[in-house]
Amino acid sequence: MTKQIQQRSNLLLGTLDMLILRTLLYGPAHGHHIGKHIQRTTNDFLQMQHGSLYPALHRLERKGWIASKWETAPDRNREFKYYRLTEKGRKQLVAEESQWKQMTEAVARVMWPTAEES
Amino acid sequence: MRWWQIRGRDADLERELRSDLDLEEEEQRESGVPAEEAHYAARRAFGNETLIREQTHEAWGWTPLERILRDLRFAWRLLLKSPIFAMTAIVTLALGIGATTAIFSAMDAVLLRSLPVPNPQQIVYLRVPDGQPYGASNTGDPDSSFSLPVFEALRRDHHAFSDLMAFAPLSTDNIDVRFGNDEPEQASGEMVSGNFFSGLGVSVVRGRALTLDDENQHTAVAVLSYTFWTRRFSRDPAVLGRPLYVKGIPFTIIGITAKGFPGVEPGDVTDFWIPLQRRTDLSPWGDSDDSLYGSPNWWCLRLIARLVPGMTSQRAVAELTPTFRAAAFADLRAPATERQKLNLVLAPAKGLEGIGDYNPEPIRILMVLVALVLVIACSNVAMLIVARNASRQHDFSLRMALGASRRSLLWQLFSESALLVAAGAGLGWIFALFATRALATWAHIETGLAPDRTVLLFTTAISIFATLMFSLAPLRIVASTPVTGNLRTASGSSSQGGRAGSAVLIAQMALCFTLLTAAGLLVRTLLNYESTSLGMRMKGLLVFGITPQQPTTTAERLAFYRNLLDRMRNLAGVESATMMQERLGSGWSENDEPTVDGVTHSFEQVPLRINNVGPGYLHTLGIPILAGRDIDDSDTSSSPRVVVVNETFVRKLLPNTNPLGHRLGAFGNRNEPFTIVGVARDSKYRSVDEAPRAMAYFPYAQTGDVPSSMQVELRTRGDPLAMLPSIEQAVHAMDANLPLEKPMTQTAVFADSYSDQRLFARLSLFFGLLAAVLVAIGLYGALSWRISRRTTEIGVRMALGAHRRQILAMVLRQSLHLTALGIAIGLPLALVASHLMGSMLYRLAPTDKLTLCAAFLGVLAVGLLAGYIPAWRAARVDPMQALRSE
Repeated sequence: MTKQIQQRSNLLLGTLDMLILRTLLYGPAHGHHIGKHIQRTTNDFLQMQHGSLYPALHRLERKGWIASKWETAPDRNREFKYYRLTEKGRKQLVAEESQWKQMTEAVARVMWPTAEES
Repeated sequence: MRWWQIRGRDADLERELRSDLDLEEEEQRESGVPAEEAHYAARRAFGNETLIREQTHEAWGWTPLERILRDLRFAWRLLLKSPIFAMTAIVTLALGIGATTAIFSAMDAVLLRSLPVPNPQQIVYLRVPDGQPYGASNTGDPDSSFSLPVFEALRRDHHAFSDLMAFAPLSTDNIDVRFGNDEPEQASGEMVSGNFFSGLGVSVVRGRALTLDDENQHTAVAVLSYTFWTRRFSRDPAVLGRPLYVKGIPFTIIGITAKGFPGVEPGDVTDFWIPLQRRTDLSPWGDSDDSLYGSPNWWCLRLIARLVPGMTSQRAVAELTPTFRAAAFADLRAPATERQKLNLVLAPAKGLEGIGDYNPEPIRILMVLVALVLVIACSNVAMLIVARNASRQHDFSLRMALGASRRSLLWQLFSESALLVAAGAGLGWIFALFATRALATWAHIETGLAPDRTVLLFTTAISIFATLMFSLAPLRIVASTPVTGNLRTASGSSSQGGRAGSAVLIAQMALCFTLLTAAGLLVRTLLNYESTSLGMRMKGLLVFGITPQQPTTTAERLAFYRNLLDRMRNLAGVESATMMQERLGSGWSENDEPTVDGVTHSFEQVPLRINNVGPGYLHTLGIPILAGRDIDDSDTSSSPRVVVVNETFVRKLLPNTNPLGHRLGAFGNRNEPFTIVGVARDSKYRSVDEAPRAMAYFPYAQTGDVPSSMQVELRTRGDPLAMLPSIEQAVHAMDANLPLEKPMTQTAVFADSYSDQRLFARLSLFFGLLAAVLVAIGLYGALSWRISRRTTEIGVRMALGAHRRQILAMVLRQSLHLTALGIAIGLPLALVASHLMGSMLYRLAPTDKLTLCAAFLGVLAVGLLAGYIPAWRAARVDPMQALRSE
């Protein structure tokens, strides 16, 4: 069981940045929100590890792809650190997305060659 | 983000994690988990918070720096916790590094530092190591002097030099000057060729520099040094265009040199420069009746040159030698073999070596001595650190058990040593600043010894070396720390490091013995200087120089001196008065080849020293007369020519006969000899350490050239210096413009002649004592530590019946054992060192038994003292308590 999770999160490592950027396309969100969103959308397949989420967020901020601000959540009377996508981050998302697409297509061609022949 | 924002970022991250964690907890509660469980469930879902924080930190990209800062902070806290250890280590290091830095500063200034001019590596001094050609006269600095024709010839042949500059002091010492209508004073002046400033590349901050036109027309203009302008005129720009009287001759101040140019006299500062002069009253060295241009065979100019870029000294010498030899012998009839003997040498203008007989050996030896002190200091601190870390082994084991890597522990130790060394070096630098100022004053180096960038680099280098050494010292302990072994027993009782520690202690003892021997030899040398009999009665002797300005003819000068002497004799408090051309003990002397009864002896066989003296010379100085009489008032310019010689003269030139009545010729005038009328006992002339030489005292009135300046010597009752006001009054009554030149007691003049030796003795004594104290501290610390680890053993011994005296003896024996081994190794080391110092010793063999004994006793005292306290403490161990503590 542990081993499975380990493998999954390894797979995630390279793509976590992209997933975060994609999630923020809907609008600003705080760390917990982003994690929960990815987890829910993948039907809990991608168990969000906070251990990689927060370093990733801070790394993205350092690169200037996302920006942060402390804001009060609409539903709770408390401040959260909200991240939003910057213009630079939007471009990065497009680039990473097309790269990912190319890669999955390439992997798919190797894995399921019959599909293409038929 | 910048690294100093990390603290703020940290708080921000903390807040972010907290808010998200709280949200998780709320959500868990909302989904129906009981409140208490929700708290833990949220934390479980979140994962390892510390890990998240660490990993996020890494995402910021400042981890290495953060780690260093954290290590340094931790090291700082640890040092604060053991302030005595920290202070001991820092002060020890500061003394070691400070002393080394100070001596290196001196060495840098004396041996390495270049002139502060552009491209200083191209600047060379010209020298004639074998002295002047046969038949030429010189200035007393035979190896650095050239004649005007040689200068002109070398200047015309300028393939090797882009510029060749000549310079000569206006006086052997300072010269009398007067600025406008101010009081007369003294300053150091030089006459220089017109290209002096342009050739060296020295610019002016005000006015203009000298030009070739100034040289050719011998204009009466002067350039002041920036330092003199600052010191004397407070940087008043209005001095330009105003008159500066040099020996009463008016010169116009036309420029101020750039800041930081001290002139080209190594170790001395020059106050002003004038163009080469044709007048007889301003000749080089201020000591001739001929002008510079009227004496082609007088080698009085010093030469300095700038090499053409790419030219080496060897090639330049090869190209210039034919021109040099031709010019040197142009006016001399010398055999060809003599011509081949005269060699030109180019010496780099570095440090103080350029001119004169400056001996670089002592400073090198002092550098070695101080390096040994530094080694002792560093090894002391290393032992301290090792001892401390050994007692921290338990702590290290604990931290490794909790997951610290060996590397992080090492980094921690490295930070601690770096911090210690940095503090020590900082404090040492401050020590060095003060020390160099004192050194420059003691050593009469007016250009100063302030540490510069080279010295800073040097200090940094030795500090880095020390840091590495200290970090490597505890390496073994860390590397061999077992995780489990030491956790089991609270007090690790391993004895490792004991043997290495003993080796270090023995080495320290050996070095200490060497340093004490060196110090002893130099102190004994100084004592020998002080106790050497000078051959005269020193008490109450006062000397001052005088340079009459108004009298110009020989007769006028004679009258002036006679008048002056009469006035001095009539002063209350003066027993007797005389005068002489060369001040005793000043290092200056006049020399010639003696012609006795028509037979001339070469200078190599019997060098004759000469002083032209006034009446009552032997009587005033208290030099015993062995036969005949003193020079007296009846010996005038018109009376029969007489001379008094000393006993060495008689032994070498007139043995086995009554010397009185024999005839001595000198001054190149062998036809009109002087009759020997008296024989005086040998006495010191140039310096304390000279061997007795044949000596002749001529009445100054009878030598033809009446000296342009004289040294007046008074035998006073009471305090000689208290006489100065009345003497000054008497002199001013003759000429209000005349200052007393360097008035001193005769004792002080001779004491100054071995001021270098005094400085070496003081410094080496300081180093020796410092080494002894450091070694004592180190030995004391090491023994105390060992005793504290052997408390149980001592307890058992005492329980089994050992007497306190036996315990005391046991510890003392250990200390003395180390001391004995140290001396055994130190003895050959000390003998090597003392032989290297041979040239610095006076009336002392390098294997001086007394010194070696003193050093032996000194080291023994160190061993006993450092051993006694721990031994006494060990003997007072309460066996019951010692056994119970196990």
